Amino acid sequence: MQHEGRDMKPIVSCKGVTKIFGKGELAVHALRGIDLDIMEGDFATLAGPSGSGKTTLLNMIGALDHPSGGEVMIDGQPLKGMKKAALSDLRLHKIGFIFQAYNLVPVLSARENVEFVLRLLRIDPAKRHQRADAALAEVGLAGMENRRPSALSGGQQQRVAIARALVARPRIVLADEPTANLDSGTTAELVALMSRLNRESGVTFLIGTHDPRVMSHSKRHIEMTDGQIDSDTRS
Amino acid sequence: MMDSLKLLAPLAWRNLWRNPRRTSITLIVVTIGLWSILVLSSFMTGWMESSRDASLRLLIAQGQIHADGYLDDPNIDHLMPMPDATLTAALNSPAIANWVARLELPAVAQSEYKTLPVTLLGVDPEAELRISSVPGKVVEGRYLTDLDDDSAIIGLNMAKRLKTALGRRIILMVTDADGALAERSFDVVGLFDADVGFEDTYVFTGRNLMQSMVKAEGKIAQIAFEIPEEEDLAPTLASLRAAAPGLDVRAWRKLSLLLGAMDASMAITVYIWLAVMMVMVSIGIINTQLMAVFERIHEFGLLRALGLKPGHVLALITLESMLLIGVGVLIGMLAAVLTILALRGGIDLSAFAKALEAFQSGDTIYMLFLPLDYVIFPLAVWGIGVVVALWPAWRAQKISPVEAMRHAT
Repeated sequence: MQHEGRDMKPIVSCKGVTKIFGKGELAVHALRGIDLDIMEGDFATLAGPSGSGKTTLLNMIGALDHPSGGEVMIDGQPLKGMKKAALSDLRLHKIGFIFQAYNLVPVLSARENVEFVLRLLRIDPAKRHQRADAALAEVGLAGMENRRPSALSGGQQQRVAIARALVARPRIVLADEPTANLDSGTTAELVALMSRLNRESGVTFLIGTHDPRVMSHSKRHIEMTDGQIDSDTRS
Repeated sequence: MMDSLKLLAPLAWRNLWRNPRRTSITLIVVTIGLWSILVLSSFMTGWMESSRDASLRLLIAQGQIHADGYLDDPNIDHLMPMPDATLTAALNSPAIANWVARLELPAVAQSEYKTLPVTLLGVDPEAELRISSVPGKVVEGRYLTDLDDDSAIIGLNMAKRLKTALGRRIILMVTDADGALAERSFDVVGLFDADVGFEDTYVFTGRNLMQSMVKAEGKIAQIAFEIPEEEDLAPTLASLRAAAPGLDVRAWRKLSLLLGAMDASMAITVYIWLAVMMVMVSIGIINTQLMAVFERIHEFGLLRALGLKPGHVLALITLESMLLIGVGVLIGMLAAVLTILALRGGIDLSAFAKALEAFQSGDTIYMLFLPLDYVIFPLAVWGIGVVVALWPAWRAQKISPVEAMRHAT
């Protein structure tokens, strides 16, 4: 199923978002008035040089940090004024995260890592196993459910992270440099996987990356410099 | 609550074993801490009871009855008559195991070479066999035979100081009922071996003989009694007071302030040790948990990003502490029980016999198993350990997910 973002309602809406770290002369303006809508079904990449504000913007959209000014809305819900526990709930229900490699809980198996989010959602054990195994199968890890992260390669760990990000059926998956620690072959496989999930299952992705191999698959490319959006193009 | 526990408990348990060395060190600290508290408590209580029983068995017994004023001024003017029918009935009740009536007065003992102040005790030898350990401590010669026995039993050290010996005679001088100085010559027929202070103080003879000597026929200075169970002392004292109005009925704690103070100080020693151990255990736990938390800041950020609430992070780390300290507490309890079982034959301290003589505790200390200790001390260690571990847990839950995620990158 193909989605055309322009016809859909925004899942993420940023209006005049600013973020200032520090005070006075030491203040760093990481974001300078970002206006951005991410539409349902988008497969968007957020690119730009180091220090351009990609990660900071992803943190704001992921409800991991508060903007200094402006407003972020997720699925029509403004984040401003929400308490920590409510933000945790929002992340749990609406946002999936894929970070750089090695972001699995080392004492849990692949299945348990994926199931963890479902446990937080209080889904009963039988359904949990079924959904976790299905998510792992979808990312090509059938048969590896009981392996601990230490027994998986970097690429396999990142696939588990993708399965974990998708298993709760979030409204959007935010990925920050998901291929930064992977070799080119594994990167190509992962990008193809995320692209397929977007194309076939309609999962919305916003990916912060430097990697041209990731950008080449994106349907929408957002370029940032010095805390501002330089360009926002759709292919 | 149960959902959270189901979510966090398996994770907490696995987290404990991420660093087996650190976990083992904490377990060892908790185990040794609790083990030492429990074993020390058993040893000290055993020692105290042994010392107390030995002291009480010499003369004091569990309680005594005197004429009012005798304990403040123990002279012939403060004697009392033999117990009347009411008091005798009370003393012969099942609440009292044994009792004995004694005449006790300050006296002077004189040999050919030396004169010493002593306490002369006129006793009923047959009754003393049931209540006092002195007859069994006679190491040379014999004990007294009857109420009219006109010989004397003295301590080994007193014999040495008087430069006298078994079979020789000493003179005993004591104020009689008329206020005159009564003196009499006694054959030393037995020498007893007790602690030096006791040996230097007491001289024993027949009660009838002594009553006749001081012209106090039918008069006594004290009734000593022992009861089957220490816990029954208070009601027994009450019933004796009711049976003997006007007489001074006291428990051993009020008769021997030193023994009472020792009893209390043993308990204080155990609690001081508990406090020292608690400080050590707490430092160990805080150190371990702080390290465990700071090593995993990034992971807590990840879990928070996935949707774990701050309260869950606090609960997770607290649960880890509860499990870790709980396991240490169980091992500590088991180790203490095994130690006490292994030493159930007693600890032979004969090498320190001279030093122990002052405590009258005997050469062998028997450790006591005190069930209440196995509730109070483990709960104290566990509870305080968990409370101190709340600080690192609180710090971990305060950190924002983005700060935590930045921690590792």
